[in-house]
Amino acid sequence: MSKYSQLEVGLLIFLIVVALLPFGLILVIAEESPYHPVSGEPVNEAALATGITVTSVKDTTWNLPGATGGKIYVLTDNTGEVVTVSTQSFDSAQSREAAIRLHNAHQVGRGKPVGSLIVLGQQLVYVTPANSNILKNLAPELKKKISS
Amino acid sequence: MSEETTGQSNGIPSKKVLGLFALAMINVAAVLSIRNFPSMAIYGWSCIGWYILGAVMFLIPISLAGAELATGWPQGGGVYAWVKQAFGEKGGFTALFCEWSNNLVWFPTVLSFIASTLAFALTPALANSPYYMFSVMMIAFWGTTAIAYFGEEASTKFGNVGVILGSIIPSILIILLGVWWMGSGAALVLPPLTLEAMVPVINFSTLPFFATIILLFAGMEMAGFHALETKNPQEDFPKAMALSAIIIVVCTVLATLAIAIVIPANQLNLASGVMQAIEYFFKAAGVPWLVAPMAVLITLGGIVSLAAWLIGPAKGLGIVAEEGNMPPLFDRTNKYGAPVAVLVIQALIGSLISLLYVFLPSVNQAYWILSAMTVELLCIVYVLVFASVIKLRYSQPNTPRPFKIPGGMAGVWLVGGLGMFGTIFAFIVGLMPPSYFTTSGFVYVGSVLLGTFLLAVPPLVFLKFKKSSWCKSAGGVR
Repeated sequence: MSKYSQLEVGLLIFLIVVALLPFGLILVIAEESPYHPVSGEPVNEAALATGITVTSVKDTTWNLPGATGGKIYVLTDNTGEVVTVSTQSFDSAQSREAAIRLHNAHQVGRGKPVGSLIVLGQQLVYVTPANSNILKNLAPELKKKISS
Repeated sequence: MSEETTGQSNGIPSKKVLGLFALAMINVAAVLSIRNFPSMAIYGWSCIGWYILGAVMFLIPISLAGAELATGWPQGGGVYAWVKQAFGEKGGFTALFCEWSNNLVWFPTVLSFIASTLAFALTPALANSPYYMFSVMMIAFWGTTAIAYFGEEASTKFGNVGVILGSIIPSILIILLGVWWMGSGAALVLPPLTLEAMVPVINFSTLPFFATIILLFAGMEMAGFHALETKNPQEDFPKAMALSAIIIVVCTVLATLAIAIVIPANQLNLASGVMQAIEYFFKAAGVPWLVAPMAVLITLGGIVSLAAWLIGPAKGLGIVAEEGNMPPLFDRTNKYGAPVAVLVIQALIGSLISLLYVFLPSVNQAYWILSAMTVELLCIVYVLVFASVIKLRYSQPNTPRPFKIPGGMAGVWLVGGLGMFGTIFAFIVGLMPPSYFTTSGFVYVGSVLLGTFLLAVPPLVFLKFKKSSWCKSAGGVR
């Protein structure tokens, strides 16, 4: 330790702490999304509750380990906006987390991934585009499902 | 790849091993990513319009600006050297540090991409195991750091081979399969091509994507970090910029279209990754046996991309430390000229962050905010670079620039202005929370700005405590 001054070591520690701080921040503000069974069709129910029209529903199973099936909904509102929502249940918390990691890993360039991934108990809800009025309207209803 | 001369910067010998091809491959490694293709293919023909927007608002401006700055100030350090010339040490150090610190957030995502893609070649279910993920991520991270340890020559050889095998060949393979698909008379999932179909829809919903597109080609400045090791920087940089831009655009556009004409958009919409799309694509084309080899090649492409981003900014920080802006602790180079102290510190921090990323679910799920921080940090870098190319035309008009942005002052204002407009736009839009965000918008924006500030501010602290003894050239005790 005598080779380096206290200032040098202090600056090194400062650098490491600063680099980790944003992660600490995330830990503070991020909401837990525990793995638990969610009954029914949360997206369909949220759409019905908010007056959003479900124009089509199809079954789907994502090509991911642990994916057990879900639905693809095409939603539209009275402004003509169209949003595609895909849901998928997973057989374990690990497989759900792996799917989230995969989504995060597919950033476009150095930016963000396309679409938004919402965690709803054992389900993942994938919405494209990430920003839309439909999703904004659905959000409060889906949040109720998370807390229930 | 033979070494020609030995250059020197602040006492550190630098082997001149890089030629035009190697420089171009550094940029290709940093920018060309097969990960982007399925995400972009969702947009069908309009991906052409999006790519054109990205090229006009960022790729062309950064290529021209980078070429002028790299030929005018080929001292090494990349964006640090360029911005320092225009805005002094604070500006240069901040630009470089933002480029380096945004990597720290990006590393876990590219590492988890590498691990999950490799799992696809072995047993896809492996990706569900955090222990497998973390082990492979660490092997890739420390392995790449080890390659960087052996200096420019070793990392260049690895980069050249890796980018051809892991990025260019897979892209060409996808393109050829797309051509074969069209020639075979199989049904195309896209409607006939029209001019209208190519025009991207720009509205409130697509604004975040628009901002993402602007930074789609981020990394074109990466070759600039290797100026000291370049045989003939003033001649090779502009050509390397042009060559890499052509390779990147051709591979990206054609491979994206190849995927878009074969795979229905709803299959690409499933939050699944590039390997899922490749599997669908290769099965449809009747070559399912190619999926596993392709996974290995794409894994290699991911590692090469990691290497380009891991080595470039670390070399820049090495130069900053050499110049006495960081304590001697950070200025340790080995006999290969590699900045070992920076590489090891970077690897340690990156490993810690990866550990949190893999094992703490709430970090994993809130990664959107961290991704937003990386966007903001990169925007700071590019705004400073574009501002520098404009300012230096006024403050140092007589510095020889073997390559100059054509069109005189109007040309430089157009290029720099377009680039700055794009990156400032991306910065502002980067603060928009996604419509579904369980915390308030104020908390979101505050978090992104605070995180960005924290990751951008260390240079000011280092400069505040700077001591004359830190500088080798000033005869400081080392």
